[in-house]
Amino acid sequence: MMRKFILESALFLTLVIITCYFILLRANGKSDHFYLHFTSPRQHSLILGNSRSAQGIQPVVLNEILSRNDIYNYSFTIGTSPYGPVYLKSVKKKLDHKTKDGIFILSVDPWSISSNSKDPNDPGQFKEKEQYVGKTHFVNMNPNFLYLFNSYGKSFYQLLPRQKSSITLHDDGWLEVKIKQDSASMQKRLERKIKLYREKNLKKYKFSYVRLDYLKETINYLKHYGNVYLVRLPVHPRIQEIDEELVPGFNEKMRMVSESTGAPYLDMSYLGDSLQFTDGNHIYRESVKGVSARIGEWIASHND
Amino acid sequence: MTLNVILPVGISFYTFHGLSYVLDLYNDRIKPERNFVNYAVFVSFFPLLVAGPIERATHLLPQIIKKREFNYMKAVDGFRQILWGLFKKMVIADNCAIYANDIFNHSSGYPGSTLILGAVFFAFQIYCDFSGYSDIAIGTARLFGIDLLRNFAFPYFARDIAEFWRRWHISLTTWFRDYLYIPLGGSRGGKWMSVRNTFIVFLVSGFWHGANWTFIVWGFLNALYFLPLLLLHKNRQNIEIAAKGKMLPSFKELSGMVITFALTLFAWIFFRAKDLRHAFDIFSEIFSASLFTVPRFKGDENVFILALLIAFFFILEWIGREEQYAIARLGKGWAKPLRWAVYYGIAMIIFLFAGKEQTFIYFQF
Repeated sequence: MMRKFILESALFLTLVIITCYFILLRANGKSDHFYLHFTSPRQHSLILGNSRSAQGIQPVVLNEILSRNDIYNYSFTIGTSPYGPVYLKSVKKKLDHKTKDGIFILSVDPWSISSNSKDPNDPGQFKEKEQYVGKTHFVNMNPNFLYLFNSYGKSFYQLLPRQKSSITLHDDGWLEVKIKQDSASMQKRLERKIKLYREKNLKKYKFSYVRLDYLKETINYLKHYGNVYLVRLPVHPRIQEIDEELVPGFNEKMRMVSESTGAPYLDMSYLGDSLQFTDGNHIYRESVKGVSARIGEWIASHND
Repeated sequence: MTLNVILPVGISFYTFHGLSYVLDLYNDRIKPERNFVNYAVFVSFFPLLVAGPIERATHLLPQIIKKREFNYMKAVDGFRQILWGLFKKMVIADNCAIYANDIFNHSSGYPGSTLILGAVFFAFQIYCDFSGYSDIAIGTARLFGIDLLRNFAFPYFARDIAEFWRRWHISLTTWFRDYLYIPLGGSRGGKWMSVRNTFIVFLVSGFWHGANWTFIVWGFLNALYFLPLLLLHKNRQNIEIAAKGKMLPSFKELSGMVITFALTLFAWIFFRAKDLRHAFDIFSEIFSASLFTVPRFKGDENVFILALLIAFFFILEWIGREEQYAIARLGKGWAKPLRWAVYYGIAMIIFLFAGKEQTFIYFQF
């Protein structure tokens, strides 16, 4: 009788587990903003950075200009993927180590080399290790149980494919945001973002030498696998003012990094007046194509 | 100044078990257990270690001593009860917790209509959290061939407060009855002695939950609710489950259930509030014009799904109210594949709709 019970229980649990497995496989880019980053296979060429590059650089455009098909956007957010030990570790896991001629675009901005911890130069206090990038030790498995059980934080029915979603994570890692772009809504979002960055973030974040060193370490690591490029994406001029207050002389710092590592640096911040933004901080999808094309042409000019 | 003493997990349950053994021994209800392993298993039997049910030496110890044999029906029943416990905890309690926590933690920003629903969510959270744990513990014990004491018997279908307390946290209520209320004299010393002892039991029960005035008021309120029934000798008028053998309750039964639920809801607000001031602020908002506004929540789309899940849970509880737990006889007499399909459906609901993991409420007590 015990044998019968064990067999029946095992059969029941197997049926349940198999169904769950197939349900999780159905998750798509509308299910979650980050999940597919951890289910895709190892990549040859990467775009790294925070939400500015997650939304602001479109791999498909770069692939077209550079005649490639392997560029993948592995950017997350200001709180989860600033340059540091956690992000570097995750990048190492995402990278296909057989790569020889990869392209690596590192989006840089004052927030990506700053920290909101008490001591901005103590890596032990960096908060991203408690976030999903830090907690997801396997980044190339589908379904990614580690992410789902440790970091997803919502009911799994919300993972099921949805058609109605204003945010889509594409297969190439680009996070597309569709949002009302009338001037009143844009202005409201801009004011809200400025308030958040000036009144909250600017008070908490401080420039971190350690993060800057990790940026250099990331560049030096990726150089073994291809060419590395540094890009500063444009933001709304009022957001840029806050950026300058956080890390004065940011461009000079990046030029020094560029000189010491040999990674070319492209500053696109001067474009802030001529683009559409969702909230001043993130480039709107209509403008992303143009920005990505400029980056692609700039990289192509370096390869000529 | 506080003492930072590291306490073992489940200290209060060890204490209850240890006390029960000593008192039963003193009262000649059991013989001393000479085998230390048997005694240790009784005190620290793992399924009930952290949140009960609180066992009695007279009930559990003989089962530990006796040689057990595997019983297929018992094991299947245990497995089923675990499944139901998981549904209660992971689907209902954990999802209700999201709203209850948000509403209670930010109560000043919500109208009375939302606050009252926050209390409803908390009522379901605490019931499903605690009784869900009990179901898992009882089910696990049954896999080992051990029957634990029943801890909940559909308390929200109670028609008066006395019945509620016969159906809520039964193992604690009966523990207090047998080891506190009766030794204090119970009802043998006349009406006033009975009233005094009832208040003592409820206040001690409140204090057991924590050294906070909110728990004391919660205990006091329950004693107060109990008082008219005690004085009018109506505290044992509803012994059987509501609408026994019938599909639907009578109007009298229904109104009794609604009033009892409302009274417990009122007391739960004290239980959940962080202090008395907080509780009174919530009440002042509930008893204001904002009670008649449209309630609002963080994540309106999900609250609708939660309402459907609660309705599903409530229907199953009502259908199975005459059993030990709601799905104990669900599908009895159906073909096995059909029965399995029901359990499979419940397992899928757990997987898809489980809320964000929350610690069991009673782990802290």
